Amino acid sequence: MGLGAGSLLDLSGVSLSPAFAQGASTLRIAMTASDIPIPNGQTDQGAEGMRFVGYTIFDSLVLWDLTKTDTAGGLVPGLATSWRVDPADQRRWLFTLRDGVTFHDGSAFDAAAVVWNFDKILKADAPQFDQRQAAQGRTRVPSVRSYRVIDPKTVEFVTAAPNALFPYEMSWIVMSSPAQWEKVGRSWDAFVRSPSGTGPWKVERYVPRERLDLVKNDAYWNPARRPKTDRLALIPMPEATARTAALLSGQVDWIEAPASDTLPQLRSRGMQITSNVYPHNWTWHFSRIEGSPWNDIRVRKAANLAVDRAGMVELLGGMMVPARGLVPTTSPWFGKPNFEVKTDLAAARALMREAGFSVQNPLAVKAIISPSGSGQMQPLVMNELIQQNLGEVGIKVDFEVMDWNTLLASWRAGARDPSSRGAHSTNSSYFSQDPFTALIRHVDGNLHPPTGTNWGFYADPALDALFAKIRSSFDDAEQLSAIQAAHAKIVDDALFLFVAHDVAPRALSPRVRGFAQAQNWYQDLSPVFIA
Amino acid sequence: MLIYLAKRLVYTIPIVLGVSLVCFALVHIAPGDPLVSVLPPDASEALKQQLMAAYGFDRPYYEQFFKWLWRAMQGDLGTSIATGRDVTTEVLRAVRNTLILAVAATIIGFFFGLLFGFVAGYFRNSLVDKLASFLAVIGVSIPHYWLGMVLVIIFAAQLNWLPPTGAGPGGSSDWRPDWLHLRHLILPAITMSVIPMGIVARTIRALVADILNQDFVQALRAKGLSEFGIFAHVVKNCAPTALAVMGLQLGYLLGGSILIETVFSWPGTGFLLNSAIFQRDLPLLQGTILVLAMFFVVLNLAVDVIQTLIDPRIQRA
Amino acid sequence: MNSISSFLPADPAKTIEPIEKSPGYWSSVFKRFKKDKLAVFAGCILVLILLMAILAPYIAPMDPYAGRTIRRLRPVGTEGFPLGTDELGRDMLSRLIYGARYSLMMGVTPVIAAFCIGSLIGIVSGYVGGKTNTVLMRTIDVFYAFPSVLLAVALSGALGAGLGNALLSLTIVFIPPIARVAEAVTTQVRNRDYVEAARASGASALTIIRVHVLGNVLGPIFVYATGLISVAMILASGLSFLGLGVRPPEPEWGLMLNTLRTAIYTQPLVAALPGAMIFITSISFNLLSDGLRSAMDVK
Repeated sequence: MGLGAGSLLDLSGVSLSPAFAQGASTLRIAMTASDIPIPNGQTDQGAEGMRFVGYTIFDSLVLWDLTKTDTAGGLVPGLATSWRVDPADQRRWLFTLRDGVTFHDGSAFDAAAVVWNFDKILKADAPQFDQRQAAQGRTRVPSVRSYRVIDPKTVEFVTAAPNALFPYEMSWIVMSSPAQWEKVGRSWDAFVRSPSGTGPWKVERYVPRERLDLVKNDAYWNPARRPKTDRLALIPMPEATARTAALLSGQVDWIEAPASDTLPQLRSRGMQITSNVYPHNWTWHFSRIEGSPWNDIRVRKAANLAVDRAGMVELLGGMMVPARGLVPTTSPWFGKPNFEVKTDLAAARALMREAGFSVQNPLAVKAIISPSGSGQMQPLVMNELIQQNLGEVGIKVDFEVMDWNTLLASWRAGARDPSSRGAHSTNSSYFSQDPFTALIRHVDGNLHPPTGTNWGFYADPALDALFAKIRSSFDDAEQLSAIQAAHAKIVDDALFLFVAHDVAPRALSPRVRGFAQAQNWYQDLSPVFIA
Repeated sequence: MLIYLAKRLVYTIPIVLGVSLVCFALVHIAPGDPLVSVLPPDASEALKQQLMAAYGFDRPYYEQFFKWLWRAMQGDLGTSIATGRDVTTEVLRAVRNTLILAVAATIIGFFFGLLFGFVAGYFRNSLVDKLASFLAVIGVSIPHYWLGMVLVIIFAAQLNWLPPTGAGPGGSSDWRPDWLHLRHLILPAITMSVIPMGIVARTIRALVADILNQDFVQALRAKGLSEFGIFAHVVKNCAPTALAVMGLQLGYLLGGSILIETVFSWPGTGFLLNSAIFQRDLPLLQGTILVLAMFFVVLNLAVDVIQTLIDPRIQRA
Repeated sequence: MNSISSFLPADPAKTIEPIEKSPGYWSSVFKRFKKDKLAVFAGCILVLILLMAILAPYIAPMDPYAGRTIRRLRPVGTEGFPLGTDELGRDMLSRLIYGARYSLMMGVTPVIAAFCIGSLIGIVSGYVGGKTNTVLMRTIDVFYAFPSVLLAVALSGALGAGLGNALLSLTIVFIPPIARVAEAVTTQVRNRDYVEAARASGASALTIIRVHVLGNVLGPIFVYATGLISVAMILASGLSFLGLGVRPPEPEWGLMLNTLRTAIYTQPLVAALPGAMIFITSISFNLLSDGLRSAMDVK
């Protein structure tokens, strides 16, 4: 599975062409990942991988609307121009594909290519099956049971049960070029050296762990999204201080997630700081198994009222939005909960008194936290602040610090599993861009571990009924009202310790123009240019 | 002499085996899920089991070890779990980059170390000696990753003279010793050179002072040998030790580059080790540690052999 | 910090020699040491730091764990916070005082532990010789074949972050060099005439080790070990810096350096303080060790 012979001098990445043509504009971005997301298609490195490699080189059938900055954009047509569910059988979906789209290698995109790409991740005996891409992609499309070519422009998908959220699943799966895979010798290891997709950017050079050079695709099917910059260079830089130094010294033009304490310095040197709320969630997920102190709604509400979110905003240099629920208040899904999540120490102490606890006689809870991790923001300082705040109303917090990967493993295993070490809450930040990831998977009574990621083993038939309604409502308005009702109920029952939404701060050199940060995990790099 | 060399070589074999065993064991005493870097957060147990089998983690340890060792001897260190890339290729690429850094740091450190050491040893107990010795002790006492951060802030972020991170404008793949790439090397190499500078200076100072104190040097001086002649004598007697220190320092820098590479995002073995540890990428972790340790074993061997060739008196079994 | 060999050319085991003690040895050592002003000064600083660590609860003006985000990252010289506050608004002075406990512990404990274990292994294998020596020392050689930083990082990485694991890894890192020194010196002593004579006169092995070996061997190993303390401190703080050592919220200097890293642009002085403390302590240990070495006349 090598990238070539193991000689000390064989260090070539993708091609040996000189990467730095004179006069061409290059946008250089420092990512937080420690490695370049693999440009194979269904890439790795989580959401950052999809943002910079998944949706730049490749496209999915369904894309996200990344043009809105004041509200969360929804799904828009991508490689499929439209999709509909069969009224006679609500498990059957038909996707109509876009005409005239070609891969970077010149081969045509059609229904056979779609089926080939789903086989790539779902069909273990297909020649193009790739364990790596399967591991990334398979869990994104749990509903898919079968798929087939109807005609060159139409693909049929059949889901296990009627699922109105199916288009969200389809937004995850991107299309690699079957022709290119054949051409490079039917090997994914060879494919990553000269990848080919349909996206607005083409790969010019790939140096693992160091740099990915992309050039604009002048023939991109959506003229509005043809890049305004000639080149895009992606550089992994996991150290926040290193990213800041790289931007200040002019080594890069754009850094992801500058540390909040470096913002004043960045601003004083003329850098632009962009940020916007997006569907990200930073909570304490409560355990609801027997004996958990969080089973008492008074304690849950008291904790929510004790957290000093304004202090936390200051702590993070303004780079967070105080959470009032699982989704930001700007989200159409927020609904109208009655319980207002705010800071009110008097009310919190009163609730704790009612529950039989006080500062002198505190309730002891054990909380899992991680020192760092993707989307975790600044977990240590944030959790230490929460520990202080809860201490003031009579909840004594004891931390169980786990590294990020261990925390994720225990999150998958559930609160009952020994790997959760008897903790009463866990602190894993969530991608919450669609109703399933935002709400359902955390509290659905049918998704207890190991089947799902309802870590706390919560179950409430009323909530489950609302979830069923969301899944079965093919009418948008009807689905929206069910989502709103479910969210309102989650807030009213204080099912989580709602703390923060990240705002995805980015720092850009003053020369970077044209970027509008969408309320989304992904961003459109096409309109960006260098002045 | 030849017998000594042969013995030394044979003696290296059990060390090499022992080192491989330690590398393998180190990584397996670790708690946690070896596949965590490749599994999405909500992967199912079935998928996990399937992957465990695919990577051979379900086999007994001794079987995994011998399989790994057998392949490693043929130059195949397996496949990285996190990236799917060939570990040998990755490690060799990283070793080359670390070697660039370590050699540069050794040269800088050696130059200043020799300078300070000779000056201090020659003018023992003078003001120059005090100053040079103090600089040397600073070299071995300063937390060098901290020094690196301070240098980045001054020379990269504030003054914009030098780039703060990386091995070159386009990464390390087309590295060559031109200004575009050497600019990137300056800060990390200086930071890294501080320790060998201190060590070399301290060693040489003691050695020079020692040689100058020896009776026969006094005798030579009394006989009217020129200062240059005495200097030449000192150099000749210092050379084997200086060489040995340099060789070992190169080895220490190769194996200990992790902090500096982390601060400077230098794409070498330390950087690789860091991501392998935090991604729990077992094959990569094993491979990197093994290659670095082997480098060190070979360097040790080379130093011993060269020292013996220069000065057969050192020979000991 | 790559410098386990920092105090001796190349391989310490090849050059350290046993001390032949004459009557009045220790008083002459003390006299010589007293003349080395720099070493005495370093010793005084270390005593101060040690006192600071012991008396931390009495002299620290504030609780090192209590913070208020509202007063975070105040500069040096702020009223009430003479050395400023950290990223959570905790008093830097108090944290640096308490930090002495952790940092000294992380520098000294592994060296003491390694000194005991390493000396034992070295003396036993040096005195007994033969197969025991071969087995023990070849095992030690395997660990000695790893560069120290690599071994420490690999061990801590494998064991996971935490104070106990960091101490354990550092101890394992320091056993091989000490054992090698102990073994080399013991072997030399064992072959001395007076030891041969004692053995011939029927003294038990334990008596010989106690009377003739320990007295001559522990001195050089001790001097060697004091030199390792500064290496241990820098290595330990490095582990914390990488996230492999002490866990938050403990006020360990290396960890403080790590968590204050992003503040280095806004409050460079505050962010530099823990680094300066590590530096001062480690340089003091080095100077002290230098002084001891020349006073005790160990090469």
